[in-house]
Amino acid sequence: MAKRDVNARLPEGPGELIDRARPVEFMFGGRKVSALQGDTVASALHASGVTTLSRGFKYHRPRGLLCAAGRCPNCLVNVDGTPNVRACTQPVKPGMNVRHQNAWPTLKWDALSVLDRLGWLLPVGFYYKALHRPRLLWKLARGVIRRVGGLGRIDIRDNHENGYRHKNVHTGVAVVGGGPAGTAAAIAAAKHGAEVTLIDDQPILGGSLRFSQFEPGGPESKAAAGTAEGLAKEAAETPGIRVMTGAAVFAFYQDNLLGVLSGRDLVKLRAKQVVMAAGSFETPLLFENNDLPGVMLCSAAQRLVRQYRIRPGRRAVLAASNDGGYAAALDLLAAGVEVAAVLDSRPGSSRPPETTRALEAAGVPVLAEHVVEKAIGRGKLRGVTVRPLGGREPSQRRKFRCDLLCTSGDLQQADGLLYQAGAQREHDPESGLPMGWKLPPGVHAAGDVTGPQSLAAALLQGRLAGLEAAQSLGRESASLREEIDDTRRRLDAAQESHDAEDGIEYVRNSPAGKRKFVCFCEDVTVKDISVAVAEGFDDIQLLKRYSTATMGPCQGKMCHKALVGLCAHFTNRSVASTGATTARPPLQPIPLAALAGPSHVPMKRSPMDRIHRDLGAVMVEAGPWQRAHSYGSPNEECLAVRRQVGMIDVSTLGKLDVRGSGAGALLDRVYTHRFSNLRVGRIRYGLLCSDDGTIMDDGTVSRLADDHYFVTTTTGNVDLVEEWLKWWSIGQDVSVHVNNVTSDYAAVNVAGPYARQTLSKLTKVDLSPGAFRYMRFARGEIAGIPAMFLRIGFVGETGWEVHVPAEYGESLWEAVMEAGSEFGIRPFGLEAQRVLRLEKKHLIVGQDTDAVSNPLESDVGWVVRFDKQDFIGRGSLRAISERGLRNRLVGFVMSDGVTPYDGAAVVSGGAPVGRVTSARHSPATGKGFGLAWVPVEMAVEGSRIDIVVAGKTVPAAVTHQPVYDPDGKRLRE
Amino acid sequence: MSFLLSCPGCGERNVDEFRFGGEVTARPEPDAAFERWAGYLYSRKNVAGVSREWWNHRYGCGRWFQALRDSTVNQVRETFWP
Repeated sequence: MAKRDVNARLPEGPGELIDRARPVEFMFGGRKVSALQGDTVASALHASGVTTLSRGFKYHRPRGLLCAAGRCPNCLVNVDGTPNVRACTQPVKPGMNVRHQNAWPTLKWDALSVLDRLGWLLPVGFYYKALHRPRLLWKLARGVIRRVGGLGRIDIRDNHENGYRHKNVHTGVAVVGGGPAGTAAAIAAAKHGAEVTLIDDQPILGGSLRFSQFEPGGPESKAAAGTAEGLAKEAAETPGIRVMTGAAVFAFYQDNLLGVLSGRDLVKLRAKQVVMAAGSFETPLLFENNDLPGVMLCSAAQRLVRQYRIRPGRRAVLAASNDGGYAAALDLLAAGVEVAAVLDSRPGSSRPPETTRALEAAGVPVLAEHVVEKAIGRGKLRGVTVRPLGGREPSQRRKFRCDLLCTSGDLQQADGLLYQAGAQREHDPESGLPMGWKLPPGVHAAGDVTGPQSLAAALLQGRLAGLEAAQSLGRESASLREEIDDTRRRLDAAQESHDAEDGIEYVRNSPAGKRKFVCFCEDVTVKDISVAVAEGFDDIQLLKRYSTATMGPCQGKMCHKALVGLCAHFTNRSVASTGATTARPPLQPIPLAALAGPSHVPMKRSPMDRIHRDLGAVMVEAGPWQRAHSYGSPNEECLAVRRQVGMIDVSTLGKLDVRGSGAGALLDRVYTHRFSNLRVGRIRYGLLCSDDGTIMDDGTVSRLADDHYFVTTTTGNVDLVEEWLKWWSIGQDVSVHVNNVTSDYAAVNVAGPYARQTLSKLTKVDLSPGAFRYMRFARGEIAGIPAMFLRIGFVGETGWEVHVPAEYGESLWEAVMEAGSEFGIRPFGLEAQRVLRLEKKHLIVGQDTDAVSNPLESDVGWVVRFDKQDFIGRGSLRAISERGLRNRLVGFVMSDGVTPYDGAAVVSGGAPVGRVTSARHSPATGKGFGLAWVPVEMAVEGSRIDIVVAGKTVPAAVTHQPVYDPDGKRLRE
Repeated sequence: MSFLLSCPGCGERNVDEFRFGGEVTARPEPDAAFERWAGYLYSRKNVAGVSREWWNHRYGCGRWFQALRDSTVNQVRETFWP
């Protein structure tokens, strides 16, 4: 219970995020945890004394809060079934169920922590070196490694309707980072009329000003919370700024497209100008056991104090290679934490005088040129040993008892997005130290991302970037130019020359020791890096891949600088010549579900859709459309069409209206057949090929007038055909217009021996055999509805396709059903149509043909008019016909009652030589029949082919004749 | 992932709105040698530099246009009606 007292909340303070009046309870590992509204899972756990949040990836060492800002991997937990959620940024919600990961059986007693003792068995890249011989060993090991490896478990029984949405947002200026520089930039740009989106990954604007008691510079400056509050207020009050907090920019894509994850929204933010003001990350220091729970970044301790009012420990040591440790020490003192010592590893004395004085006045020893040697404790921190820089004697070692060690390594610029944007870092040619950024057009940078800044300089830099972004948007004015000049002048005066540091000092200064973790995500130690370099992986890119450092969930935020420094150190190179790893999206892990987004399947419904559903039709997807597969019995539907009359909804057919004096010429050019000589009122089958001679689509072409054609396409291909016709009409010196009228018409095909009688009851159009012949077109009225009649015969019976304006679809259906009732009319679905057309050996493009099928081999060579001067595909088809056919699409009839599946193999001599594309059982003959691709030598009438059915070969006979009405008498009757 | 393309009619849009139609090629005369047809059908220049391409504003006006795109930096220099 003593722990609880330590972590009890501090009195109310400025800038706290918790609402003390609203308690929240949630579960962690089966235990109830009390929290306050505004807490994160991690802050609530800390407040209740839980300091171990996870286990390390490889060695399963206990890990506690490190960054408290959503960057490092130490607090990944499972929340309500979602793995790898960062506890330190996940707000608490009542009743949420939080579970630990990567530990078994419990977080406290993890069986696999034995790996920590067996570390010598797992050197860097062990899976490349060990376990390969004998070969069986690797097979066994692989299973174990796969079970043990990875992080988090996905519940495959989970409901994957995840609720992520995608949003496309456009903005004038996107500002990445809501710290002082970013907020100043947003305000400046908005004041000059720009539309601004300001994005920050923390819950409130203000950046580092939100967790530090004082502004940078120490107690002599203003209270930071006031400055942050002022900036946030101004941003909120300035019109034209949209603020997105708690949102992570994870990628920069071409033309200023930012990928932003904001709650359950994946925002594709397209900005005309981008201001990068993402600041910098504090990084861990390198010393033995630097991963022990109780060791955290200074900023993490400060966040706990300021934002959640938690005392992060009782007695603290602070160690830093910058001024961060001093500021944090003051914050901890103010929170009632006893500060045992403040260590500054920097050679020479560059400590901030005011802060040092304040600390010394409080009795805190400030040890210049000192480093932490080792953190002591098992499972949690009990003390540290420290020693002076370069002091190797045991007598120089000092030990401090403490339960909190705050570290602040070199600041790592949050420059990943800048690199993704194509920015390049410039280095001083002599010293090799980093200087500034060479930015691509439309991208600006401000604040700590450009290097450590004073607050005044960061604010001015931000303002300048905002003004320049506004200027680039064309917001040109005299006052804007004046303001830019003025800001530049003031910035020149405010910018202090900082000693550029390149990250190698803190690597050199780190004392020897075991288990000095560079990469917390992948458990890579300093020793691993030195071994990898010694093994020859001395290029930074190779070193990264081989050691896997920087490749974990933090994506290098905690370790990239250290990795580069170590690589430079071990290879005796400068940091500049060592280079950097490539920054690629995503900058941080984001759920695949977020990238996938919701499953928006576009769905089109026929104008008669309601009727099909009322009839209990089984609906199937056909391209974007929903179509009736059957109304219960495809067999009976087939019989109705053959014996009485049937009706099918064909509204989903693609329909194109082609007009103009050049319409005939265009169709001649694009289709293999000739249409310019088609007489008005007649219909021809049309086949569309691409220039390589393969079949793209088919349909009918009706000539309505000299300069007017009505073209149908297959259900899924109308957009393709429309684009295709438009493309080939370009540059032709003729007038032609192609209009997609698919959704304008509802259509049915009424077919069967009684089709004529049925329709004649409804129309004055003369449908008698002599007056309305096969492949003819007429306009007229049906049941009082204006209609187009196309006499065609896909299913092989006398029949008409009747097209009416879409809004009359249901009326048409009902009128025909009523008129046909005395003849036993039945609606039929796709399945019946497939059987009926198969009996007629009519192919379906895409079912019986594929991307390499040409019309000559597909047995529709009769529509290819080589006598036409040119058409799309002619050159290739001519070549194919000269070369000779290799395969052919033929009909077949099985020798007995079995029916192969669509796709079954045609075999010869034990080897596959062809395949079945469509096969059905014929109710008439009692045999299986269908269409199949076979080599040309087998494509002889009556020749025997062998088809694999259920693992056995069954003989079938090839036929070029349709199994039903081979002479086509019935459809012409 | 996504860049901006300017339809000569509709202006600058996300590339997702367009369909790529490939390099602009010259179609041989109907009776040209098979070698020429084969080259037209199967050989692309795929230049590292400025390439002239067909694009269709599929989810916009539906019209075809051409673009000069620098394939080395994926930057569209110019778009125009054919």
